Amino acid sequence: MTSFLIGAFLATLISALFTSRLYGLILWYSLNSLSLALLAISIGFKIDDNTMIISGFLTLIVKSAVIPYILKKVSIKFGLARQITPNVPVYYSIMLIPALLVFTFYLAEPITNMMSSNANYVAISISALFLSLLLIIEHKNIAAKIIGFLTIENSLFLLGTTATNGMPMLVELGIFFDLLMAIVIINLLFKSEELS
Amino acid sequence: MIFLLMLPALIMLVFSFWDISKSKYLFPITSLLILIPSIRLFFLPKPYSVWGDYLVVDKLSEYIMLVSSIVAICVTLAVSTLDLHVKISKSENAKFYRFFAIFWIGLTASILANNMGVYWIGLETATLSTVYMIKTNQTLAAKKEAWNYMIVGAIAISLILFGIILIYASAKPILGENAMSFSALLQNAKHIKSPFLFEIGFAITTLGMFIKMGFFPMNLWLANIERASFYPIAALFSGILESAVIVGFFRFSKIASIINHQHVFIFVFTYTALTIFIVSFLIYRAKDFMRLFSLSGVEHMAIIALFWASGGIFPALLHFGAHAFLKPALFLSTGILESKGKYRIAGALKGYSGVSGKVFYFLTGLFLLAIVSIPPSPMFFSELYGFGAMIDIAKVNKHLLLMIGAIIILLGLLSIIFYKFVEIYQSMKYEGEEKQKVVYGNEVFALVIFALSLLFLLTPWSFEFLRSIS
Repeated sequence: MTSFLIGAFLATLISALFTSRLYGLILWYSLNSLSLALLAISIGFKIDDNTMIISGFLTLIVKSAVIPYILKKVSIKFGLARQITPNVPVYYSIMLIPALLVFTFYLAEPITNMMSSNANYVAISISALFLSLLLIIEHKNIAAKIIGFLTIENSLFLLGTTATNGMPMLVELGIFFDLLMAIVIINLLFKSEELS
Repeated sequence: MIFLLMLPALIMLVFSFWDISKSKYLFPITSLLILIPSIRLFFLPKPYSVWGDYLVVDKLSEYIMLVSSIVAICVTLAVSTLDLHVKISKSENAKFYRFFAIFWIGLTASILANNMGVYWIGLETATLSTVYMIKTNQTLAAKKEAWNYMIVGAIAISLILFGIILIYASAKPILGENAMSFSALLQNAKHIKSPFLFEIGFAITTLGMFIKMGFFPMNLWLANIERASFYPIAALFSGILESAVIVGFFRFSKIASIINHQHVFIFVFTYTALTIFIVSFLIYRAKDFMRLFSLSGVEHMAIIALFWASGGIFPALLHFGAHAFLKPALFLSTGILESKGKYRIAGALKGYSGVSGKVFYFLTGLFLLAIVSIPPSPMFFSELYGFGAMIDIAKVNKHLLLMIGAIIILLGLLSIIFYKFVEIYQSMKYEGEEKQKVVYGNEVFALVIFALSLLFLLTPWSFEFLRSIS
C-alpha cells in the first residue's frame, strides 16, 4: 500500500510537470496532496503514531481540499490565464525527468544506506523536491510557480514522514500555519495587483 | 515574559486598523516597549526559559534581541515621516505596520528558538510578512520583486527545512523528539551515529540561509528587492531579517563544528570567499545608493560567517552588531538623500541646513566611512580580530602560508569596496549642485540612536560581554 501511494505521489507530480492548463495543475496538486495524506495516515497506523495520523488528516483537509479550492477561487476571481504552457518543451521534459530521478537516487545513495527504514522513499522525496523546482523554473506564469512552491512543501512533508517517521506535532502545526499564511499573502498580492 | 515580548507587536497590529494619520505617532512609542523585555533579559539567569524548551534565552540570543530591538525602534521612528519622502497611500502605510507586527512576532520566535522547527516557523513567518511590505511600494518593479521574493524566499526557506529534517533524522535515533532541540544537539553532537547525514543536512540548511542572505550564486536578488521597496523595508531586511537568518547559521554551525570543524570551515570559507569575490566587483559597478548598500550588506554577512566559522566568535559578533546598526542607518539616510525617488550621488550630502540638517550631514558621512572599517569604527576592530582568528585556525591546521595568501586576496577584494565607498563619499561631498533639502527631527533622532549604539559597542563593557558569549 505504502509503495503504491508513494508511486502515486511521484506520478501526480510528474503529470503536473506536463500540464498546460491551470485547473489541471490545481487538480494534480490536489491528487498529489491526497496521496501524501493517505501515505501519512497509512504509515501512522502502521507504526501506531497518533501525531502522524493527525498530520495526515490535516493534509487531507487543508492541502488536498481547502488550498486547491482557494486557489481555484482566486484564479477565477482575478481572471488568471488558464493556458500555462511550460517553457521547457515536452520532449526535453521526457528526457530530463528520468535523468533527474536517476541522478537523485545516485545522489541519495550514501544517505539511504544510513536509513534503517523507508530508505528509497528518502530518495523519492529528494527527487520530488527537484521536480518541484523544475515546475517553478519551467513556468513563467505566477500561479504555476505558486503550485511549484506548494509541491516543494509536499516533498518536504514526504521527507519528514519517511526519513524521520514524522516530525513533532508542534512543528507540523507550525508548518501548516505558515502554509495558510502563504496562501493569504498570495491572495493579498493578487488583490493589490487588481486594485492598482 | 513571552507576553511582554509579543505585546508591542500585538498593540501595533490592533492600531494598524485605525486611522493611520492619528495612529502613526503611536507606533514609535509602541516600538519603544520592545526595549523593555530586551533589556530585562540581561538581568535574568541564563539559560532562561521563555516558553518551555522551545524558546530559551542565552547570551547570544539576548544580544541579538537587543540589537534587533534598537533597529526596530529606529526604523519605526523613521517610518512616521515616510509619506513626506515617498508617495504612499494611507492604507499601504497602515499595512506596513500590520505586517511589521507579524514580522516582529516571527523574528522574536526565530531569535529565541531553542528548537529547529520553531526557528524555521519564525523565519518563515518573518519572510512571508516582508513579502507584502515590499508591495507597499506601488510600482511595477516592486510588484515584480514581491513575487520574486515570494518564490526565491520560499525556495531558500524550503532548503532550510529540508536540511533541518535531515539533521533531525540523523539525531532522532539517539535523542528521540529532543533531536529538534539546539541545546540537546549541542550536548550530544559527538554521539550522533550518522555524522554524514548530519553534515549533509547542515550543508543544505546553510545553503538555504546563504541564498536568503544573497550569497553566491544569488547575489543580485536581494539588491533588486531592496532597490524596489521603500527604504525602511530595506533597513529591516539588512538590520533585522538577516540577523534572524544568521543566528540560525551560528547555532547550526556550532553543532556541526563539534562533529567536524574542518569540514565546516572549508565549506564556509569557499562559499564566503566566492561571494566576496563576486560582490566586490558588483559593488564597483553599482550606480545607486540602495544597490551599493545592499551588496555591501551581502559582503559583511559573508565576513561575519567567515569569522564565526574560523572560531572568531567575538569578532563575528562585534561585526554583526556594527553591521546591524550601520546598514539600516545608511538605508534610512538613503531614503532622505533620495527624497521623492530621485537619486544622484554627486552632491547628495550638500544642501542640509539647520541643526537637524547638519547633524544628518555629519552622521551620514560618518556611517559611510565607518562601513568601510575606517578606525575607530567597530568594524575596524572586528576585522582585525577576525583575520587574527583565521591565522590562529591556520596555525592549528598547519596551513599558515595558504591562509596568509587567502587573507591577502580577501583584503585586496575589500580594498575595491573601500575605494568605491570613498569615491562615492567624495562625490557626495564635493561634486554636484547644492540644493535645499529637508530632513525631519525623528529621522535625525533615529540616526543619533544608531550612532550612540555604535559608540556603546566600542566600550570595554560590550567587548567583555561579547567575549563572554564565546
